[in-house]
Amino acid sequence: MDEKKEFTPSIIYGLCSWCGTGGSETAGAMHLQYAENIRPFRVPCTGAIDPVYILRALIEGADGFAVSGCHPGDCHFDSGNYRARRRTAVLKSLLDTFGLDSERVWLRWVGHGEGKRFADTVNEFNDHIKEMGGNPLAKRRDT
Amino acid sequence: MNKGLWIEGPIKKGILDFLNGLLADQKIKAVLMPAKNKGGDSYAWFLMEKNGMLDSADPAPPVMTTQGANVVSYLTKKGPVWEKTAVLLRPCEYRAVIELAKIKQVDLTNLVLISFDCPGAFPLEKYINGDPKKLDEIFDTCLEKQTELEGARNVCTICHRFSGTGADIEIGLIGGKGEGFWLVPGSRQGEELIEGVAGSKTDNLDVRENAISERTILQETKRNNMLDSFQETVMGPENLLNTLSSCINCHNCSRVCPICFCRECYFDSKALSSEADNILQRAQRKGGLRLPPDLLLFHLGRMTHMSLSCVSCGACEDACPADVPVSMLFALAGRNTQAVFEYEPGRSQDEAVPHTVFKFEELKDFETPYIKEYSKEQ
Repeated sequence: MDEKKEFTPSIIYGLCSWCGTGGSETAGAMHLQYAENIRPFRVPCTGAIDPVYILRALIEGADGFAVSGCHPGDCHFDSGNYRARRRTAVLKSLLDTFGLDSERVWLRWVGHGEGKRFADTVNEFNDHIKEMGGNPLAKRRDT
Repeated sequence: MNKGLWIEGPIKKGILDFLNGLLADQKIKAVLMPAKNKGGDSYAWFLMEKNGMLDSADPAPPVMTTQGANVVSYLTKKGPVWEKTAVLLRPCEYRAVIELAKIKQVDLTNLVLISFDCPGAFPLEKYINGDPKKLDEIFDTCLEKQTELEGARNVCTICHRFSGTGADIEIGLIGGKGEGFWLVPGSRQGEELIEGVAGSKTDNLDVRENAISERTILQETKRNNMLDSFQETVMGPENLLNTLSSCINCHNCSRVCPICFCRECYFDSKALSSEADNILQRAQRKGGLRLPPDLLLFHLGRMTHMSLSCVSCGACEDACPADVPVSMLFALAGRNTQAVFEYEPGRSQDEAVPHTVFKFEELKDFETPYIKEYSKEQ
């Protein structure tokens, strides 16, 4: 158990530049603490996150990948988040098909003002990945 | 209404006569179909006019050389054909054409799509290196009797969309009495073309429809069972990477894939090339690195891009020089991702590719809900 506690997962957090990043700013303004080992990855819109980016991160060493953006109906570009949802669904069902831990990918909407929700999501995801342990793909040399 | 036409006689000759008749009556101007090459060991596609019909033209070749949808896409990518052109396609090629029409890589204007009940196809390598004459004979008997094709490709043995349903003209063999075929119109255009052709009219195609639905159920069960047992052999990082380990990163599978239409592929782009320094770092992190890298990324990434439209034609596996079971991997991936959207590629032209549309309320299972405030122990 001790080993697990020491394990610091490397987590990439895909945030859209309107709501996701806004959420993280609000969390900062509210002085909320959240896990420091996440690496925010800012994109214009969650719809711009091609599943290949997520796959590449997971294959090259990330233990988890979370995606956050505007709530459905709030997308700055009208429909980007609906498309992101479809892409994530395809990716997750593919990962399930090949037994590659689809739970390492999370999609959760975070609004600009939802600082608490952002910090909670980060902490929850971080603990969730800690529980899951290291990503087996990250250490494989034959990928 | 004219439901179909039964034409007695040898099948391939009958189809060619029918096409020649259409050309002679100027109902169509050209035919696009495969013809045997001079060496007799393979097939290529030819666009043929009234006086240019090749003797070696074969409406139902025993192998799939170039995927028909690629040929049609090549013909119409820059605009429609001006004159009516008939295209002979296998059912999987027909479905790929429909998929490409949805993503605007094929213009269906003036095209008459003709498809037939396909018994399957031999692996390309087996045909070219084997005894073509003998394989031709086996194929022709299977085509006529509509029995299972011995030695067909894996995806063909588990094909569950084997009939030409949906095409403008369907060449019906299943449920027939042998020595002949039905011409079944699938659209107004097809009906017009069939009018005036000599043959016995049928108002009742129940025999055929029943036979098709019976076989569909059988094949669907077989497909699901085979894919399920195949899935067990590729589950988990260890198994999956072992399956892919013989891949030589040639990207042939994506090049021959009709659905992979992008002119600039992400996996061939500069985005994936990096400096030695960067690659060394990756190797350090992983304790070594297989080169060229991005093997798993290529296959999984390609699946996220096109598995929704994958028609399981098996062109990828035919093109694979390293015997990776690509077509089975994609059939499996396709089955599972298509099920999420209850989508079937090539079923109908009105059904949009799931990546291009969305619903306001859907896919809640794939979001992680925010149920309660999460307080971290500090």
